[in-house]
Amino acid sequence: MVGSPVLLIAIPLLAAFLIPLFGMVWKESVRIVPGLVLAYLTYLSASLYIEVINTDTIVEIIAGWRPPWGINLVFSPLTGFLTTIMTFMGFIVWLYSYRFKRNVEFEAAKKYFIFLMLLVAGSVGIVITGDIFNQFVFIEIVGISAYALTAFYTGRDSAEAAFKYLIMGSLSASALLIAIIIIYSQLGTLNMAEIAANIDNMNPYYRIIAMIFFIIGIGVEAEIFPLNGWAPDAYTEAPGPVGGAFSGIVAKAGIYAMVRMMFTLFDIAGPMKILIVIGLITLIVAETSALRQEKLKRMLAYSSIGQMGLVLVAFGMGTKAGVFAALFLMLNHAITKPMLFLSGSFLTFNTTEKYIKQITGMAKKMPVVSIIFVLGALAITGFPPFSGFWSKMAFLSAAADENLLFIMATILIISIFEVVYYFRVINRLFFFEYDDKISVEPHKPGFNGMIALFVLAFIVLMIGFYPSSVTGFIDLAADDLLNTHQYIDKVLQLGQTIIQ
Amino acid sequence: MDTTELIRIGVYGTSILLILIGLYAVLTKRSLIKIIIGLSIIDGGIHLLLIGIGYIKDGTAPIFSPGSENAVARMVDPVPQALVLTAIVIGFGVTAVALSLVIRLYRHHNTLKIDEIKNLKW
Amino acid sequence: METILTIFIIFIAGATGTYFLGKLSGILRSVIFITTLLVTSWLFFTAVSPDVIIEFEIMGILMSWGLTPLAYVFAIIVFGLAIIIGIYAIKAMEGQRSLNFFFANFLLSVMAMFGILISNDLISFFIFWEIMSWSSYFMVVLNHKDVQRSGITYIIFCVIGAYAMMMAIMIIYSYSGSVMIGDFISNFHAFSLGMKWLLPILLLIGFASKAALMPLHVWAPGAYSNSPMSYTALFSGALSKMGVYGMVIVMIMIVQQIPDGYWIKEVIAWLGGITSAIGTLWAIKQDDAKRMLAYSSVAQLGYIIVGVAIGTPLAMMSGLFLAVMHGIFKSTLFMVVGAIERQTGTSNFTEVTGLIRKMPWTFLAALMSIIALAGIPPLGGFIGKWMLYESLMGSNHYLLIIVIFFSSTAAFLYCYKFLFGFFLGQEEKEWSHVKEAPAMMVVPMIIMAILTFVLGVFPGLILKPINDGMQFLGYVSTDNRFWEMSTIFNDWGNQVVMEPIVYTIFAIFLFFLIFLTLKGYKNTRYVTTKDISSSGEIPREDENLTFITGFMQPFFRAVAPVMKRQIDKYYTSFGKGLEALFDFTRRIYTGNGQTYALYFVIFVILLLMFRDSLF
Repeated sequence: MVGSPVLLIAIPLLAAFLIPLFGMVWKESVRIVPGLVLAYLTYLSASLYIEVINTDTIVEIIAGWRPPWGINLVFSPLTGFLTTIMTFMGFIVWLYSYRFKRNVEFEAAKKYFIFLMLLVAGSVGIVITGDIFNQFVFIEIVGISAYALTAFYTGRDSAEAAFKYLIMGSLSASALLIAIIIIYSQLGTLNMAEIAANIDNMNPYYRIIAMIFFIIGIGVEAEIFPLNGWAPDAYTEAPGPVGGAFSGIVAKAGIYAMVRMMFTLFDIAGPMKILIVIGLITLIVAETSALRQEKLKRMLAYSSIGQMGLVLVAFGMGTKAGVFAALFLMLNHAITKPMLFLSGSFLTFNTTEKYIKQITGMAKKMPVVSIIFVLGALAITGFPPFSGFWSKMAFLSAAADENLLFIMATILIISIFEVVYYFRVINRLFFFEYDDKISVEPHKPGFNGMIALFVLAFIVLMIGFYPSSVTGFIDLAADDLLNTHQYIDKVLQLGQTIIQ
Repeated sequence: MDTTELIRIGVYGTSILLILIGLYAVLTKRSLIKIIIGLSIIDGGIHLLLIGIGYIKDGTAPIFSPGSENAVARMVDPVPQALVLTAIVIGFGVTAVALSLVIRLYRHHNTLKIDEIKNLKW
Repeated sequence: METILTIFIIFIAGATGTYFLGKLSGILRSVIFITTLLVTSWLFFTAVSPDVIIEFEIMGILMSWGLTPLAYVFAIIVFGLAIIIGIYAIKAMEGQRSLNFFFANFLLSVMAMFGILISNDLISFFIFWEIMSWSSYFMVVLNHKDVQRSGITYIIFCVIGAYAMMMAIMIIYSYSGSVMIGDFISNFHAFSLGMKWLLPILLLIGFASKAALMPLHVWAPGAYSNSPMSYTALFSGALSKMGVYGMVIVMIMIVQQIPDGYWIKEVIAWLGGITSAIGTLWAIKQDDAKRMLAYSSVAQLGYIIVGVAIGTPLAMMSGLFLAVMHGIFKSTLFMVVGAIERQTGTSNFTEVTGLIRKMPWTFLAALMSIIALAGIPPLGGFIGKWMLYESLMGSNHYLLIIVIFFSSTAAFLYCYKFLFGFFLGQEEKEWSHVKEAPAMMVVPMIIMAILTFVLGVFPGLILKPINDGMQFLGYVSTDNRFWEMSTIFNDWGNQVVMEPIVYTIFAIFLFFLIFLTLKGYKNTRYVTTKDISSSGEIPREDENLTFITGFMQPFFRAVAPVMKRQIDKYYTSFGKGLEALFDFTRRIYTGNGQTYALYFVIFVILLLMFRDSLF
């Protein structure tokens, strides 16, 4: 036993509060401590994950109250999988932003790293908690730190983006709270496993109402259509690495909360029309909106939203293959989209507007970053032999299994638009002449940032050439999500390892 | 109809009314401050609802003390109260962030009208 | 290790080596590039046998690689062209931009085509197909010309085709649990009737988009003319044949199993015929040699598809033979244009004239290829067309014959235009400095020209592997029935023996050449092209006496109604309309936080209203 899951939440929270104190002693520690914490978290999460796969799900009880009375943390093949991705992406984002505002503004950097810690802590908390109210609290933690990170830059429109995010965020929090109230008043418990075990006793009318409010409450973090108006703005205005963190960490936590609710809490068997419909609309609206964007990050943001829609459609199929495809898509998206955001923010480093036309011909000046950007674009549009292809294939195969030909056709047609807008950017990057009047001054990428990009690129290529390296894990995670009874049994401690 | 029902309906009705008033403010008022007030009113309504589900007639505090062993049946459920405290704290935090954002917005745009603050769109 | 795997590794190593070591020195790059091509071809032709099959599993899907006799025919095209064009490209690309990328990408394209040909399962077929798509895409935009228009058009049609194919593949996989092409063919009868129609159509869309069949051809002119000519030769010669390869499999193995499936064949055959007619007309109209050849490629692929779609043994044979021949002569022509462009700086034949004395060897290559293209005996193109006409007559497609005949006759017009525009006509001062292209460019072109000649004399050389391939497809052997090494038979018992015909023509030609040279050797007097007088008027130096521009006006007046409706325009306006629509719909994100809150409320209400149907 290397540690317990609670450390995954406790350490970053503690670090967030200690960073200012460290900062008083030694300024550089503000940058180093988060890195150490995230590296440790990644290590801890990975080793716990390996252990969970080899032995059994870990259920940790907080403060001695056994479920269903107290709060418990569940570290299962599914949550372990997501936690490992999240902490790893947190580490990558840290690595990329290690020199963020270095020698410029100490205070700003301090805030940035504090909120980054909170963001990771909250997201991990959303995933591993076994209690809906606890999940609500973590969603709020993520929300507040995300508002703060979005509003990070003064003198730009970032406060506007943050404010929109805040309106949507607090409305959704209210909806989530209403859902929790309904469930509590009906079942008298907040523990997910307990709710899942007793959901059939619930009045079907209230059950649906609760579900609707849940969907709405989590939908804002999961970026579903019409609740995602904040997302493009926030992604655009937040600092570059934060865009990566949003797409790689926060959106994943949102999606997880959504599917955990649908699959486990309300135990809906078979296809979920609601997820398919919402996912498809999200996908279509987002991808078509991305087509004519003038700003690079905004385009990436819409693309990110679209991918989330795709993930939801895949989950909505409700089959093993569908869940497998969805988790695979999530993994690829978690790797690839931060890669695009990070390389994209190197490309547009010296501009505040981040127009696509400003990167005209940048490949001549920053070849390596540009190639990594292209790699990401090819991967996300699903060109073989890069990672995105396999997940797209898994998705289509799952849809074909269910005979959802219409959905297959729709998604492929939408993918054409995706290809078009990504290739327009690639063209601008590589096949236009560099023009001093339009293009920005190239920025020499830092050493740490390049390492982060190389690691991501390596993973994209590795999954692309050897998908079996990850499919085993995804398979276990999919099984874990689908097996509700096992979840209930394990949490309500009908015989398994429990950390007191 | 006994008083418990009446009180319950009253509490639920009030909280729903508060939520609707808050929504009205969020949807129609153009001032950022008023929108934040609206959000707070929604929060207030939900907190009332949350407390309302824990209501028991003649309830006592859920504390076991000598002499009140038979009061178990009348003890109010402590969970909603714990929840509502947490929710209030969170609501407070969000409101604080919102107000600080409004200050930033006012400095940047010189206005508090939400429909004049839309540089980011489409 | 398996040879196939070794070939892939060499390709990848070669591509990376070309790219990274190429930064050190240009010679090193060329050496690695050519060595890779030579070694892989050598390995392929000597060590890859059809019996060896590699099987492996990815994500639980069984995949397999192995060479089929049919693929061998196409592999001959791919490797043969790749080597010759590769040698040409080294010199031709000299001084161009991003050479490392060009050569590495060239190798990737060849590798992808090789991969397509040795794939026995649909997934790896698709993977290589997509690698081919993006690597060729980067070539199309490599010249920085017309990038956002022709490049994006190309990639759109690539992905339309690829996604149609992907959809079919995934349906096949989920219905039958196997992605083997062989399993698909043998289990095809088990699919439902709707699927029996849907799957071949989806696959055909995929292949037709690469083979530039109407109405999916609109990418071709832009893509062919904008990529570097050294690549277009491979692009038009080999890459488009991958579409044909796929079509052959689908047409013969799948469509025949559909009840009433002959409709698909008829439709495809007619589309092929129309493609060739339209392509030819547009080719005539072009003033730029690249675009002309691009349209001409579209037209020629039309013939090939007609042959493949009709599917009688003779038709299939003619289709495949034409595919090989087209690979040879069209890449030669693209190489010729590349050479001319390199030497003169333009590829517009209304500007360049009279190069015959300056670039005689290039002229010879162009002449031979043009003769082959036009289908004039004795060169290879003639045999393919002969067989095509005969098969069309044999299968009662008389109307189609008229279309094909029209387009191949009309093809003479652009053939003439090409030869006359570049090489004949009056010499102008502007081009007096032009020199013959370097030997490294001329020799590949001449080799290709000789190949057209050799295949004209001994069509059996290539008909033999084609016959093997067709036997693999289930045809009875056609050896000695339709052809021998140098003889073509027909259904009426006649036979054309090529060898004596060619030798006779060659002898006459040689005789006259020697005779005329000897006779006129002493008396030859070189004059300028302006040394004439017409009606007593002596033309001035700057006067244009030839009809290079617009010399087919009456013809175009006649065919104007056909030309008026240009399919690209419909696509363009459709695309613009879509973009305008999406530009409008994205206004849903108004930027006003309050509107988003309103969406939130509406969403709640909608979900509550439709809760019964959604949950």
